Amino acid sequence: MTKLTAESRRHLRTQAIKSFLRRFLGHNGAWLGLLALAFFLVLAAMPGALVGPLQTAITATGDFLIPPSTQHLLGTDEIGRDVLNLIVHGARTSLTIALVSTVISLIVGITVGMTSGYYGGRIDAWLMRTTDFFFVIPSFVLALVITPVVLEVIGRGGDILGFRPSLFVIILVIGSTSWAFVARIVRSQTLSLRERQFVERARVVGTNDLNIMVHHLLPLLVPQVAANGALVVANAIYTETALSFLGLGDPLQPSWGTLLSLAERAGAASSGAWWYFGAPGLCVLIVSLGFVLVGNALDDTFNPRRRAIP
Amino acid sequence: MKNPCQQAKAPILAVEGLAVDYRLRGSSLPTIRDVSFEIQAGEAVALVGESGSGKTTTAMAIAGLLPPNAAVSGGEVRYRGDRLPIDDDAAMRPHRWSEISVVFQGAMNALNPVHRIIKQIAEPCQLQLGMSRDEAIARARELLELVGISAERGRAYPHELSGGMRQRVMIAMALACSPSIVIGDEPTTALDVITQAQILKLLTALRSQLNLALILITHDLSVVAECCDRVMIMYAGRLVEDGSVADIFANPKHPYTKLLIESIPNPEHGKRMVRPIPGDPPTLQHRPSGCAFRSRCPSAMPVCATEVPNLKRWEQGRVACYLHPPMKHEEKALANA
Repeated sequence: MTKLTAESRRHLRTQAIKSFLRRFLGHNGAWLGLLALAFFLVLAAMPGALVGPLQTAITATGDFLIPPSTQHLLGTDEIGRDVLNLIVHGARTSLTIALVSTVISLIVGITVGMTSGYYGGRIDAWLMRTTDFFFVIPSFVLALVITPVVLEVIGRGGDILGFRPSLFVIILVIGSTSWAFVARIVRSQTLSLRERQFVERARVVGTNDLNIMVHHLLPLLVPQVAANGALVVANAIYTETALSFLGLGDPLQPSWGTLLSLAERAGAASSGAWWYFGAPGLCVLIVSLGFVLVGNALDDTFNPRRRAIP
Repeated sequence: MKNPCQQAKAPILAVEGLAVDYRLRGSSLPTIRDVSFEIQAGEAVALVGESGSGKTTTAMAIAGLLPPNAAVSGGEVRYRGDRLPIDDDAAMRPHRWSEISVVFQGAMNALNPVHRIIKQIAEPCQLQLGMSRDEAIARARELLELVGISAERGRAYPHELSGGMRQRVMIAMALACSPSIVIGDEPTTALDVITQAQILKLLTALRSQLNLALILITHDLSVVAECCDRVMIMYAGRLVEDGSVADIFANPKHPYTKLLIESIPNPEHGKRMVRPIPGDPPTLQHRPSGCAFRSRCPSAMPVCATEVPNLKRWEQGRVACYLHPPMKHEEKALANA
């Protein structure tokens, strides 16, 4: 009987996942977004599939500023490097920064938001004032100030937790400036959830606060967090691009922002080398649009008010 | 009450002079005053009163579940002779659920929508009885069968169950740690009449099967008649009458009880089928002196305004009214002077 139960339980779960996917993929935007993201993720994960390892990207293979041709599909830059090759490796850096910093931002945002909403009172006031600080300070300006200072202190050499210091700092800065938005959303949800009677019931039967938060509240927050998490990624890509464009990125690991910055310095725009700044710009646009589309589709799928009752 | 032997035994729960205050913008408002009663093992007692009369507050104080803006300001509660730490949430934890448990009002809200019901029933078993996950699940399956739901349905989520079944789940959850007292906070309010009858039947059956003492909070006197031994009527935070169900219905003593029973719709009264009690109950902020009911009472006397009548033994029950026992003429003149 237990076996049967386990089997039917698994069946129920697959059913639920199937129905979720059906609703999710019913959105055209979700398809587009997922395809774009999948393409860039594969690109980032296996640069060897399309171009060579990083070493091939930083060696000049052609003349400088050649327009796209069969040999250089996206042309070359001002010192003769293959732009396609740079873009592929840039995807790797950009996506790593965006995804890891989003994870940081979600962890901090959920922790702060849930603690604040659940305990209320003084804890809430302090945490929310802190959040307000990060909320009203333009995160980009904050990142602009923190990045050079931290880089100055720890230097650009060596590596931290497997990342090069400058990459690590950018991840940290983006992560720590984008959580306020998540914290606000999570807090408002928690405020309404903690008044629900099942939370009271759980407390009455002796569940401790941590367990209530992790087991009773967190599962109910997942839809909001997932939908908004996708938007946080999009935002992280923008911030990363902008920071690198201003020269705060890692010159040895080119991201799309770094490429844009190089293109600008090389005068690509005025010399008509549209492929040089157009390619990384378009990549940033497509990837962030992809995340926004996926986020919107997730929001539509999870939001019962927008869902037609079958 | 039915069994004289039982009455001689020590009560399972004794409440003495319970007083609860609510804090509101710095001032503390007396909400419950001087509530005393005893409950025998296996007895079903109803706490009846209008909204705001303090019936839920009384019951929640006994379970140590007062909201943060309320506090016990006097009196004590003894369980089998031992004082319960009702004003200390942490100290109350081991007593709650294994001695006194609660069936919450509104079963949909008291169940977490994202967890299967079996898991939610197993939760108190794991936390209070220290059972392993598998033991707790096995216990939860037993409990589901006990309240008349097939154990297989335990895999369902709360929204997949009907209102009556959800209420059954709440009852199963209350019974998880084999308590001797169950407090039902309007357990049938949100249900239709047929489901209500089924739930009451289930409670009555479980009561005799498990020798449970039941405290039923309700404003519905028909529920009381159906499944309780004793009724306690509350008005403005005080007990005004306490007696056996038969006694209260046949021979109500307090004027409030009389009006309450008359207010039950009776087709024999024709067009005036429903007879509401005129006036409104006093608010927390404006409790009158003396008897709180006097402004709505048809037989109010001058003495009612001066001093709160005590809950005194009278005939088979207890009543707090100057009409009982009837005063002699000279006494009355003295009191009213």
